[in-house]
Amino acid sequence: MKAVCWTGTGKMEVQTVKDPEILNPHDAIIRITRTAICGSDLHLYDGYIPTMETGDIVGHEFMGIVEEVGSEVKNLQRGDRIVVPFTISCGNCFFCKKQLWSLCDNTNPNAHVAEKMYGYSGSALFGYSHIYGGYAGGQAQYARVPFADVGPLKIESDIPDEKVLFLSDIFPTGYQAAVQADIEPGDTVAVWGCGPVGLFTIASAYMLGASNVIAIDRFPERLALARDYCGATVIDYSQDDVSVIEALRDLTHGIGPDSCVDAVGMEAHGTDVVAAYDKVKQALMMETDRPYVLRQAIQAVRKGGTLSIPGVYGGAIDKVNFGAAFGKGINMKMGQTDMQKYLRPLLQRIEDGQLDPTFLISHRIGIEQAPEMYKVWRDKEQHVTKIVIDPWQDRIAA
Amino acid sequence: MSSTAVTFPRQGSTFAPLADEKKDGHVRAHAIQTVNASADALYQLWRREEFVPLWMEGVVSITRTGDRTSHWVMSDPGTGKQFEFDSEIIDDEPGQHLSMCVIEGMGKGSTDDITFEPHPSGRGTVVTLISDFVMPGGVVGNAVAAVVSRSPRQMTIENLRHLKQLAESGEIPRVEGQPHGKRGVMGRWKEFMLGETNPTPPGTSEREQRQDYPKQNELGDKREVA
Ligand SMILES: NC(=O)c1ccc[n+]([C@@H]2O[C@H](COP(=O)([O-])OP(=O)(O)OC[C@H]3O[C@@H](n4cnc5c(N)ncnc54)[C@H](O)[C@@H]3O)[C@@H](O)[C@H]2O)c1
Ligand SMILES: [Zn+2]
Ligand SMILES: [Zn+2]
Repeated sequence: MKAVCWTGTGKMEVQTVKDPEILNPHDAIIRITRTAICGSDLHLYDGYIPTMETGDIVGHEFMGIVEEVGSEVKNLQRGDRIVVPFTISCGNCFFCKKQLWSLCDNTNPNAHVAEKMYGYSGSALFGYSHIYGGYAGGQAQYARVPFADVGPLKIESDIPDEKVLFLSDIFPTGYQAAVQADIEPGDTVAVWGCGPVGLFTIASAYMLGASNVIAIDRFPERLALARDYCGATVIDYSQDDVSVIEALRDLTHGIGPDSCVDAVGMEAHGTDVVAAYDKVKQALMMETDRPYVLRQAIQAVRKGGTLSIPGVYGGAIDKVNFGAAFGKGINMKMGQTDMQKYLRPLLQRIEDGQLDPTFLISHRIGIEQAPEMYKVWRDKEQHVTKIVIDPWQDRIAA
Repeated sequence: MSSTAVTFPRQGSTFAPLADEKKDGHVRAHAIQTVNASADALYQLWRREEFVPLWMEGVVSITRTGDRTSHWVMSDPGTGKQFEFDSEIIDDEPGQHLSMCVIEGMGKGSTDDITFEPHPSGRGTVVTLISDFVMPGGVVGNAVAAVVSRSPRQMTIENLRHLKQLAESGEIPRVEGQPHGKRGVMGRWKEFMLGETNPTPPGTSEREQRQDYPKQNELGDKREVA
């Protein structure tokens, strides 16, 4: 089959590899019909996730048709159409039973690596480095889905692939970010980043009762989606006369946002001297993450407010004003998304017509275009907002 | 204000560390896991020789030679070299405690001590494994072994982890045998460094199956699907 493989920092290649096979009794093999490139994939592409191996198949947002199931998979059969959540969960450990699916104890074959870096290991993820298990990803024509009886969401209706594809990650991730923001009616929520995760966070914050969402980014097409499609008040932080923290104070009548969401993560872009310092340190591997947005959000949030962090961090950060977090008594919630908790309720919202997730798709491509589109995605060229891949076509004309 | 004193649910105590030490040619290591399965099911997985190669690393075969004795053939994951020993069960309290000792062959005098106890607030069974390895090359030999394969301490941790994975989820997670692109020299080096060249025990994998797997009901708690 054809698969998108990581071959080093800044390099992706489409290679022909062997087809996946059933290895364990709860596995399924699916023929992938649609897959997408995520903001998280950029952290791999840019070389900030340490345990990538040359030749790793990337991709964790995918769906397809079941080809074959292992002997213990009783709830799926050949021909079923499923969306695969990006976290792999066993369904029976202490954490799965508590609905903390992304913290499953039993799916990471390299748990010892994660334990050395983090103390304990979370669940494995598809196509996301070996510290997260080293599972082959879904930017490919076929994939092996472990614990296929626990994770995947079966789609029974004839709703198009594109409308449900983002249940594999970014819609639940944005939704969980809003849940973790602890929104109360009348609240104002500030969201940094109007990428796919940020956009779904904005929409979800309104679903959960926020009365106002303020969104921060610098790319006009992303700000436009946040404003025109999702009803946010937008701030373009790249404008010379804009200070994000002051803007947020003014927009919240001097109080500060009740909740702040960092939907940017470890590769935040900054415009001042401290940001330059982070970039240099990160390049020298003295600091693994650039916590530019995290710092701003800690400063901006109101006293006793909540910070929700769906943006991915991988390791050590520097110069975070923990005193501000302490002094204002703020709450912080973060982590990979507990996918299985949200799949069915969000599918329901899509089927009820509450939200059409296709609004953010800007590019539909064939698999051979993936390597060049990674660059476009990283540099946010061509007004890109989300890239969807049909792995069975080589190229799709724009 | 009521003047009734608080009643504390338990007596206080002082933490006593479990053994982790290297001396006199011995390496002592421990591992502890809370497993969402019954003590009986876990005890069976350990006590019955036919189940052990499913989850323990490096087992080639275990042959029962008496009521309490068995002959083990093992293979070093790093070097592929095989070695053998005879083991005897020196304490056996079904569902609670197992203790075994190597009585002949490689690592003679090494012991494994396993306790199964209910978790104090009902999260399953706490399994504690304390291994005392007699190192054939002494502790220095062990340092070399740790580079080419697993250190005894890591092996202790991984084996208990595999037991938990098998009991809780019905399989041992594996990526061996899945597709990938060209690894190249760097890719292969990293694979080795992360311990991924160590074979994963077969668990319930049909491809790797060597023996009859315990029936689901013998594993206790049945997996539920949300
Ligand atoms: N928690 C999870 O389970 C989970 C799941 C998916 C993605 N993520 C993470 O969420 C983050 C966003 O993902 P995405 O797909 O939307 O990525 P993306 O790269 O498309 O979007 C990031 C956006 O942040 C903006 N940004 C950069 N610096 C900024 C700054 N200083 N202030 C405001 N905005 C800034 C960028 O312009 C961009 O629009 C990533 O870190 C990703 O890894 C987490
Ligand atoms: Zn993603
Ligand atoms: Zn689990």
